[in-house]
Amino acid sequence: MFTLANKCMQFGGALGAALLWLGSGIATPLHADNPSRCAVDDLGREVCLHASANRIATLSPGATELTYAAGAGDQVVAVVSYSDYPPEAKDVASVGSHTRIDLEALVGLAPDLVIGWVTGNPAEQMDTLEALGMPVFYIEPRSVEAVADTIERLARLAGTEPVGKQAANEFREGMAALTARYSERDPVATFYQVWDEPLMSVNDDHLIGQVVQLCGGENVFGDQHRLVPRLDDEAVLAANPDAIIAGGMGEENRDWLTHWEQYPNLAAVDADNLYFVPPSLIQRPTPRLLEGAQILCEKLEHTRQKRRGS
Amino acid sequence: MVMRLWQPLGLLALIAVAAILFSLAVGSAQLSAVQLWAVVQGQGDALARTMVIELRLPRALSAFAVGGLLAVAGALMQVLLRNPLADPYVLGLSGGASMGALAAMLAGMGGVLISGSAFLGALFSTFLVFGLAHGSGGWTPSRLLLTGVVVAAGWGAVITLMLALSPAERLPGMLYWLMGDLSYARTPWPPLLLLIATCVLLIPLGRSLNVLARGPLQAAALGVDVRPLEWGIYIAASLLTAAAVTTAGSIGFVGLVVPHMLRLLLGNDQRLILPACALAGGTLLVLADTLARTMIAPEQLPVGVITALLGVPTFLFLLYRSR
Repeated sequence: MFTLANKCMQFGGALGAALLWLGSGIATPLHADNPSRCAVDDLGREVCLHASANRIATLSPGATELTYAAGAGDQVVAVVSYSDYPPEAKDVASVGSHTRIDLEALVGLAPDLVIGWVTGNPAEQMDTLEALGMPVFYIEPRSVEAVADTIERLARLAGTEPVGKQAANEFREGMAALTARYSERDPVATFYQVWDEPLMSVNDDHLIGQVVQLCGGENVFGDQHRLVPRLDDEAVLAANPDAIIAGGMGEENRDWLTHWEQYPNLAAVDADNLYFVPPSLIQRPTPRLLEGAQILCEKLEHTRQKRRGS
Repeated sequence: MVMRLWQPLGLLALIAVAAILFSLAVGSAQLSAVQLWAVVQGQGDALARTMVIELRLPRALSAFAVGGLLAVAGALMQVLLRNPLADPYVLGLSGGASMGALAAMLAGMGGVLISGSAFLGALFSTFLVFGLAHGSGGWTPSRLLLTGVVVAAGWGAVITLMLALSPAERLPGMLYWLMGDLSYARTPWPPLLLLIATCVLLIPLGRSLNVLARGPLQAAALGVDVRPLEWGIYIAASLLTAAAVTTAGSIGFVGLVVPHMLRLLLGNDQRLILPACALAGGTLLVLADTLARTMIAPEQLPVGVITALLGVPTFLFLLYRSR
């Protein structure tokens, strides 16, 4: 397709000029002359602030949670919709959704640091923010260590290092303890269901996939090419997992699991290993993941015990 | 004669200016009249200036340019195809542009590259339809229309396939692009200059277009060189649409309804309709975008929804009243 596109390019040199024109400024990292606080974001750019950030805007629910965890909750002046944890975050002014930001409302709150989401926020709007001279720190933690590290980096920018350091270390140690306890136990073939229609799971590169592994689970779709593969019931029946773990709509809803009870020959159904883990505890890359991982590990351990008992 | 042309255009221009001023004055951030006046005078606090000059003004101008381009492209397509259902997207242009943009998003490219890829996709689709419709044998409006509709259906399938295969976290951005959204617009100047240039270039062609609208045989009999004129219209309309889609994604409805609305009100004189389309299309999109970003602020709506919600009842009313 791009070869065809290239051929089209030859139709006129004027096109090249037009394309150049269509673009506006290209993002450049902020370099202060006398920086006091610097951190490298997940785009690999060094973001420096003259002083610790006092008015922080967080442009994803995860960023909100991480910033509060870093001890900078009092400095958060703007969040996006679905920023529901910690509960205090619900009272902070909202500036739209993470996919479509109300730039006016955001600029009006005069933040001195914007926490962006690498793949979640629209690039055009982020470019506009940077063109207005706002320091943007992009995050997207994709591993357990990255969650801890992100908390520390946010704490550095916000000037709350002691709290951030402690939160990061508690998370690291908690996850390390789970790993030490469970990762070497008998493998449990596990299917983690992210969504029901369409049916979606995760592969081993996904943070949830990493949690399944550290609990000693063997993700049956771990080697899928896509981070969040879309599947059908047949694929799950063929994989025949020992345990099915599902989130769901809301924090209590087990409806997704009852769907599987129509297949009594599935190992997980036969041994009654259908488990619910509250999605907010495991689907966000935040310190609450520790709690979610704890629950998931216990469910898999339960599966092992049933296996031994039978 | 001159008066007859200028009166409605002058009125439309006044409404357009009022719409732009209105869109500069309202937003999710409340600015007082005093603050706005200070900004107009080149003073005022930095925050108010940023809001009005750097956020609202480029967006309003982009909206105006995109609306004008789509409406003019629609009017041209309707003359070319002599089909009242023709609109800028009917020939697969927005499909090609969407395919280009989504491919760029899937490849993880950002900003400028998405716009560039959308533009290339639109041009590619234009040449594809043109080449196939030309093919061996004659080039008739109905053949061009049918080729375009089928190519558009093909793009639709490719787009659905891309959406189905794309990673979940990229889906919202892609869907918003398909719905049309001016928050993605960058600098307003390229579409705006193109709109102005088009209007100026079309003035001397108005008379020939009027004749062409009655049919190619009559036009040829009256001494219009039909073939080059038709090609010119096709390429011009394609370029205008490509520029509009590239700026703000595919915003439907403007190109279909604005020309018809104006014809019902002003008659079918292309010398009047084409510049009137530029003004009215621009005004419609400026107003629609202002509503889109303020109605449930801070949440933002896709502007295409608003253009349809505003335009459909107005159009149906006019259609019902006529005859």
